[in-house]
Amino acid sequence: MTERIVHVIDDDEGMRASLQFLLETADCTVTTYASAADFLAAADPAPGCIITDVRMPGMNGLELIQALNARGSGLPVVVITGHGDIPMAVEAMKAGATEFLEKPFDDERLMRAVRGALDRSTAEKSDLAPDPERVRLAALLQGLSPREVDVLRGLIAGGSNKSIALDLGISPRTVEIYRANLMLKTGAASLAELVRISMVAGFS
Amino acid sequence: MGYAIALAATAACFAVRLALRPVMHDGTNYLIYFPAVMAGASAAGFGPAMLACVLAIGLNLPEAGWPPDPSHILIGAIFTVLSVASGLIGQGLLRTMRDRSAALIALETQEAHLQSILATIPDAMVVIDESGLMQSFSATAETLFGWTAAEAVGKNVSLLMPASYAHAHDGYLHRYLSTGERRIIGIGRVVVGERKDGSTFPMELSVGEVHTAGKRFFTGFIRDLSDRQETERRLQDLQAEFIHVARLTALGEMASALAHELNQPLSAAANFINGSSRLLAETPPKLDRLKPALEQANDQLLRAGQIIRRLRDFVSKGETERRPENLRQLLEEAGALAMVGAKDIGVRLSYDLPPGLDQVLVDKVQIQQVVLNLMRNGIDAMDGCPKRELKVSARAMGDQTIDIAVSDTGPGVSPTVVDQLFQPFVTTKATGMGVGLSISRTIAEAHGGRIWVDSTPGQGATFHFTLRSVGDAELADLD
Repeated sequence: MTERIVHVIDDDEGMRASLQFLLETADCTVTTYASAADFLAAADPAPGCIITDVRMPGMNGLELIQALNARGSGLPVVVITGHGDIPMAVEAMKAGATEFLEKPFDDERLMRAVRGALDRSTAEKSDLAPDPERVRLAALLQGLSPREVDVLRGLIAGGSNKSIALDLGISPRTVEIYRANLMLKTGAASLAELVRISMVAGFS
Repeated sequence: MGYAIALAATAACFAVRLALRPVMHDGTNYLIYFPAVMAGASAAGFGPAMLACVLAIGLNLPEAGWPPDPSHILIGAIFTVLSVASGLIGQGLLRTMRDRSAALIALETQEAHLQSILATIPDAMVVIDESGLMQSFSATAETLFGWTAAEAVGKNVSLLMPASYAHAHDGYLHRYLSTGERRIIGIGRVVVGERKDGSTFPMELSVGEVHTAGKRFFTGFIRDLSDRQETERRLQDLQAEFIHVARLTALGEMASALAHELNQPLSAAANFINGSSRLLAETPPKLDRLKPALEQANDQLLRAGQIIRRLRDFVSKGETERRPENLRQLLEEAGALAMVGAKDIGVRLSYDLPPGLDQVLVDKVQIQQVVLNLMRNGIDAMDGCPKRELKVSARAMGDQTIDIAVSDTGPGVSPTVVDQLFQPFVTTKATGMGVGLSISRTIAEAHGGRIWVDSTPGQGATFHFTLRSVGDAELADLD
């Protein structure tokens, strides 16, 4: 994947340099930008993928994705979010991000996300066979009960156990049980992962 | 009563006259009755003296024969005049005596009143003369200092002070007597007293000055402050506790922003370390890139440590102690903490701190808490506003006051809440507790300052508070 470049966009210099270093040790070619505006201003980015922080001064990650969509850019975007920033991640995924990573993340997750994004960037134009991972995850979600689906929808919307309970007219305790079931059935280790699985599987 | 004495005295004189009859038979026998007149006059004044006089004349008449010879009449007349005079003098003397004893009784009553007051007031009283010797030592003073009045009176008042003050006291007294400059008289101050057993205690001393009979005395009223200071200290502890809780609450509200701020360097460090282990896993390992990467990982971890240190100072309970602090540094540090996460949402911070700002004598963490509260309020207020600029400024106001202002470009404070804004549990935020500003007010006022808000609805709000500055000269004094 040498010709394809990973564009790293982050306002934090330490994050930027460390991502560059880590990706380079995995034989990626990396260019970095201190802001979304810098990236958009750079002439005609080389093919590859984008890794962007979601919270940045000026244009944030979400606005960047929208701007890229408006330009008809085909670059897949991996979004990095802060801890517990689920609503922002969901928004980014809905806007078309291919993957989100919650800070701090381990390098395997990052590599998998980047590889997936780069693969997609080559496959994008032909858009041939569906992503096998996506198919697998979608199958997992098929096994959910209607109530579990309701709770999942609430969680993706950023709701707390309490607010979901109120919306569905059940007790918070029951929501907790559904939530535990969801984690079990999808194999997700955290709420962020559960949301990520749902987004990748195209759950809505 | 007076008349009975006159009558009895006259009778006694008559008896003497009868006894002397064989040797006295001219008019001089009037003289014998004179003591009776005097007795009447001195016992009860004019009336009884006259009674004795009339009786004496009546008793003498039968002896004088009829018509009485001229010598008898003359002596009788002289006797009458002398008796009248004696009666008048006696009357006058008696009145004077009565007046004087009335005055004496009044004086005694007054003194008794004074004594009872002195015995009742909780303050101890010690009177000293110009040379510092104790002249009077009240009962309360006995209880307070442990010395008896007998032991204390006549000794130098420095007996009641710790040695370090005792030496200086004569000097103070001397200075006052020679310059007339009042340092304590009529002012009162808190000083340290020493009991007989050598223990010391805080006391409030008020001194008055008395001039009598060409001498000068100083009266000291002493109030034991041990209990009061204990109470005040306990109150301060409680307040410090409350302020600390409020600080934790403020940080709690910032928790997610703080977590984000910490995650940044931790994630970066993790990336550098993960990359390094990848380099080591290759064959052959690429060692040349390893060192800079590990150094950068270290830098990032130190950065995280710095954030934690800043937080730790802020979270720590610490003793509430005021020290001279550099105002600029204090404000910048508080600003760094307050801006956590705010940059990401597009808030711009500027400082307007003129050079040459004096130092301030403050509890640093508490004042930073006020700044943090005001700044976070400003940041929250500007959420969703097109213009998001926060400004922290300070300026000297003269009379040793420094005005510190935090302005935002938010919607401003609604006039309906301005008045109660600094009351506890008044909030305009959906999730606020309403303690931030009331605590800020408590802190500002405890530092001898004020806090207020200027707001133009639609154009933002400026919160001000004042602190007292300390000049270098004063700082030198503190040592």
